Amino acid sequence: MSRNGGLLEPLLATDVVIGELDELQFELGEGPSSDAAATSSPVLEADLAGLEAGQRWPAFAAAGADRGFRGVFAFPVTAGAARLGVLTIYRREPGPLQSDQVADALVFADAIFVLALDHRQGVSAELGEVIETAFTARRAEVHQAAGRLASQQRISVTDALARLRAHAYSSGMSLHTVAIDVMADRLQLDSDLAAGGAPPRTAPNWPPTNGRSHPHATDNGQDEKEQEED
Amino acid sequence: MIASDRRVREVFIELSDTLVDDFDIIEFLDRLAAHCSELLGVSACGILLADHHGALNLVAASSEEARMVELTQVQNSEGPCMDAFRTGHPVQVADLREARIRWPRFTGAAVDAGYLSVQALPMRLRSTVLGAVNLFSQSTGQLDTDTITLGQALADAATIGIVHQRALARQEIVTEQLQTALNSRILIEQAKGFLSHSIDIGVDEAFALMRSYARANNRRLTDVADDIVQARLRLPRPTG
Repeated sequence: MSRNGGLLEPLLATDVVIGELDELQFELGEGPSSDAAATSSPVLEADLAGLEAGQRWPAFAAAGADRGFRGVFAFPVTAGAARLGVLTIYRREPGPLQSDQVADALVFADAIFVLALDHRQGVSAELGEVIETAFTARRAEVHQAAGRLASQQRISVTDALARLRAHAYSSGMSLHTVAIDVMADRLQLDSDLAAGGAPPRTAPNWPPTNGRSHPHATDNGQDEKEQEED
Repeated sequence: MIASDRRVREVFIELSDTLVDDFDIIEFLDRLAAHCSELLGVSACGILLADHHGALNLVAASSEEARMVELTQVQNSEGPCMDAFRTGHPVQVADLREARIRWPRFTGAAVDAGYLSVQALPMRLRSTVLGAVNLFSQSTGQLDTDTITLGQALADAATIGIVHQRALARQEIVTEQLQTALNSRILIEQAKGFLSHSIDIGVDEAFALMRSYARANNRRLTDVADDIVQARLRLPRPTG
């Protein structure tokens, strides 16, 4: 699901039934995906037919279990204030994910985060490079630089991260080096032109709303769904 | 043993009082880091959590943050914290200058930063290790057994903070809480960077400013950080 402003909207699903489940969470306004988005924390539900799930999401838990889905695992596509969406994995068997599956899903969510940033700036990198960036993108200096750039250019932290990443990609520098240079004021990123050859941005948001009230034009995240078939 | 029994009791009571519903994990770990250096008589303390990439991330520190970040990041290739995290056992180095062969990069960075001895205590939860507490001293020498025991109790308190109120925490809960802590720290770094430009202060000073604002206004540190980066809250530049 992607965040369009504050609303979580289904964006992409691996099949029709999964799309319906996402749609259902969206329509009911309840479910693991919206909780994951609201808390910026994974929500791992091992059994929709269980008591806990029934109490937490009465309508969605029943509807999901009726369609034959028992496990729902929602991972936020998020880094601090840059909240782009949620990756949700559905499973027909009840039971928790193995810890290596959880770790893989978290790495996928990080990779989707980078892909969504790149999408904003017209960057299309190879998967290996995206995974490498997803790793670097957790470092403290990168987020300090994103915050600094957001204040300098009066853009959202999401757009600031996208610009840092696009600059790193087009200049061949590492994201970490770009971040350190921004913090040291050795590097000024052009506030009018997006790096990487994308067209100028025409709709800067200021102040950047967290969008709980209404969607806005430059905050289209990207997201994916995976269905796990056993 | 450096701290008095009475002071130790006070600290544990204060920490358990912090563990109310809706507590802020970074605020909790930040207090814990400060108490660690005070009670254990070390120069600096950092609390490191492992992420899903297997990297150690600094989530709280007693002081000198930029240096601590650097000393954490070096340890993703080598160092006492990585060893404590991998083995689940404490690592103690009484004189860093004698550890140059074992960890050349880490030793160089730590000695440059003015530290001569280091301890790393694992944050264990049953069979898993969530991270490590890193203690730095400007003098050489071992910590005595009582101090190490107290240090491990503080490291365990940090683990309890993460699995908060779920004594028999399932793996799902641990994942959720760990990710919350790591993500909260990212938000705080973003807010530090934001303030470094908007009111022209250093990132370490920015952290102290957010923390004192959060405490004075009885707000969660991460909520304050979020309001700052969303431009909903402007903090005044500290005077003097």
